[in-house]
Amino acid sequence: MSLGKILGKRALSILAAVGVCVLAQMVLTQSVDGFLLRLFFLGGLYVTLAVSLNLINGITGQFSIGHAGFYMVGAYAAGLSSNYFFPRQSLDMPAYLLVSVLIGSVAAAIAGLIVGLPSLRLKGDYLAVVTLGFGEIIRIITLNQEAWGGSYGYNLNHKHQSLALVFLLAIVCIAVCRNLLKSAHGLAFLAVREDEVAAQAMGINLTKTKVVAFVVGATFAGAAGALFAHDSGFINPDLFKMELSFLILTMVVLGGTGSITGSVLAAATLFLIPELLRIAKFEVSQGVLLGVLVAVGVMVYTIRLVERTFHGEKTQKSLLLLGAVVMPYVVMFGVGKLLETYTILGDKFYKANDLRWVILAIVLLVVMLIRPSGLFGHHEFSWDWLRSKMNRRAVEA
Amino acid sequence: MNSVLPLMAGIQLDWFSLPQQLVNGLVVGSIYALIALGYTMVYGVLRLINFAHGEVFMLGGYTALLTSYAMGYSPDAIRQAFAEGREVTSSPLNLVIMLLVAMAVCAIIGAIIEYFAYRPMRNQSRIAALITAIGVSLFLQYAGQLFLPSNPPPSVAQDVNPYQAVYTKVFSEAVIGEGGTVIRPAVEVTITQGRVIMLITVVVLMAVLTYLVMYTKTGRAMRAASHDFDSASLMGVNVNRVVTATFMLGSALAGAGAMMLTTFEGTTLQPFFGVLPGVKAFVAAVLGGIGNIPGAVLGGLVMGLAETLVTWLGYSEYKDAVAFVILILVLLVKPGGLLGSNKVEKV
Repeated sequence: MSLGKILGKRALSILAAVGVCVLAQMVLTQSVDGFLLRLFFLGGLYVTLAVSLNLINGITGQFSIGHAGFYMVGAYAAGLSSNYFFPRQSLDMPAYLLVSVLIGSVAAAIAGLIVGLPSLRLKGDYLAVVTLGFGEIIRIITLNQEAWGGSYGYNLNHKHQSLALVFLLAIVCIAVCRNLLKSAHGLAFLAVREDEVAAQAMGINLTKTKVVAFVVGATFAGAAGALFAHDSGFINPDLFKMELSFLILTMVVLGGTGSITGSVLAAATLFLIPELLRIAKFEVSQGVLLGVLVAVGVMVYTIRLVERTFHGEKTQKSLLLLGAVVMPYVVMFGVGKLLETYTILGDKFYKANDLRWVILAIVLLVVMLIRPSGLFGHHEFSWDWLRSKMNRRAVEA
Repeated sequence: MNSVLPLMAGIQLDWFSLPQQLVNGLVVGSIYALIALGYTMVYGVLRLINFAHGEVFMLGGYTALLTSYAMGYSPDAIRQAFAEGREVTSSPLNLVIMLLVAMAVCAIIGAIIEYFAYRPMRNQSRIAALITAIGVSLFLQYAGQLFLPSNPPPSVAQDVNPYQAVYTKVFSEAVIGEGGTVIRPAVEVTITQGRVIMLITVVVLMAVLTYLVMYTKTGRAMRAASHDFDSASLMGVNVNRVVTATFMLGSALAGAGAMMLTTFEGTTLQPFFGVLPGVKAFVAAVLGGIGNIPGAVLGGLVMGLAETLVTWLGYSEYKDAVAFVILILVLLVKPGGLLGSNKVEKV
């Protein structure tokens, strides 16, 4: 293929991506109400965050647990600069939002550079602690800046929602990571993950590779932060606590460290759990909650037992697994019915909203215990893989 | 002469209260050291950051609280005694029972967490184990919010604590000028009897730990496993038992720390009670060189002193950030921590 053809193809796909995003925004803003729209918005942001952390953690193998820090830097840089430079609302919105996103991502990139540089000397868990510490230091400093609103939060003069930009950011982030892995530079990232000493022996500049991973990952997180700040028009240090970093890390690991597809899917489903429970109306009594907890525990360890000890036919194994999934709940239901006549537990009820984090933690533990390598492992989704699978099925039939 | 000496513009240092702040820092630091030991021992053996350790600490505090309730120091019982005109008496034996129960319960919780959550993860990647630890930590925090008394945050009744006497050592008397103006405040150190007992207990517990690790068979197995896990198991060390013992020991220390903090300092309890001390103790463990037992103690003391000194400088709002600043500065100079060794990997 000639260079012109490649460029043409690239330009075409970029145009297509932009078109899809704008179309999606037009369709969604017309047809969907506020809450669902916000879900789409947050989904795009979380996908960006997870994929960008995946670049640092999964692909380069560096241990970063402070991604919310970069997100926060982006949000505050964008918010402060837009209030400072554009105090009045008399601007062409998309262009101004783009400038703001640029400022947010550059600020986060600088932060990424600052955090990435110590990784020249630090390895593994020590690096993890430094990234965690960085996130906390940034948060506490912001918490004490009166000019930035401190713990009360910071209000932006303009509020601007752009679903198209959020989707575009997610697509760009995924494309950058995917294309990186197809280039020689990307292979260097993978080599650093697999064995630093061997990678160095093959002439890979460890320092450069790690720092680039940190800077690129932070840039995307910062851009996401900028969009987030402009969407809600209000930012608060409490939004960027350690829990958020852990949530993003969880998405990466549950999807399978290193798998971009996995990160995308895990991000798109995991963030839904707390968001949907926030509006869910059901209530759970203390007894039911305890019963379900016990049943989930029994289920997980029975599945593990079957996986470890049963080596028979595949259908039999599937049946056993199905039994392991269903039986604990049936038994607990029976036990609950029996116990209903006696009141052992208080008749305390919990709202769905209060159960958000417990359920998230349980999902996390269940997936980790049943499938520790994440949903996708190191694998990626590809059309070839799907086609070969279909072909095999056709041959078998 | 001014009573406070100006150091920098805007900062006024109260030199006369420095000795008191150092003592406060020592007390806080000893608790951090106690928690940090749990982190460092587990890391030494399993190379796992046990994020749930702070939650074990929290559960230790709740155990102490519920034990004190069971012994008749619940708010209701105290209110009733007050209404009937009875005096609520306390005895050292109650405190010993609380300490032992908290330590035992925490040890059991630690062993259970290890068995059900970490053991299945032992052959998996370290990031998977770390995520599991975070999951356990989140689960305990938020399940605690559902099942433990937290609103309003309860605290151990101070009636259970017989050691409320206050010792004061005056180094120099205050100089009072005419009209009652203070020319120079007194330089003195005040410490409650409870805090003295706390410090003694910490030292005793550390001595016991040193004995267990250095002079018993389990301790030797522990050191062997932390030196080389696989070789130790090949040499006939029952590594599963060693890991369980490590978790139990570390968790028991955390339980002791939580019991003393809630009883002698009267700290209020809530399900997120363990998060901040946990993170700081973890930072202390890394600061001293993670996996290194004396390092954890040193790191804890440094952390406690740094925190009180920052408060003393007038930056109390940055108290929680200073831990990380010190950590990053130390790691930049000594990447293996203060007492840790920095091994360079060679082919």
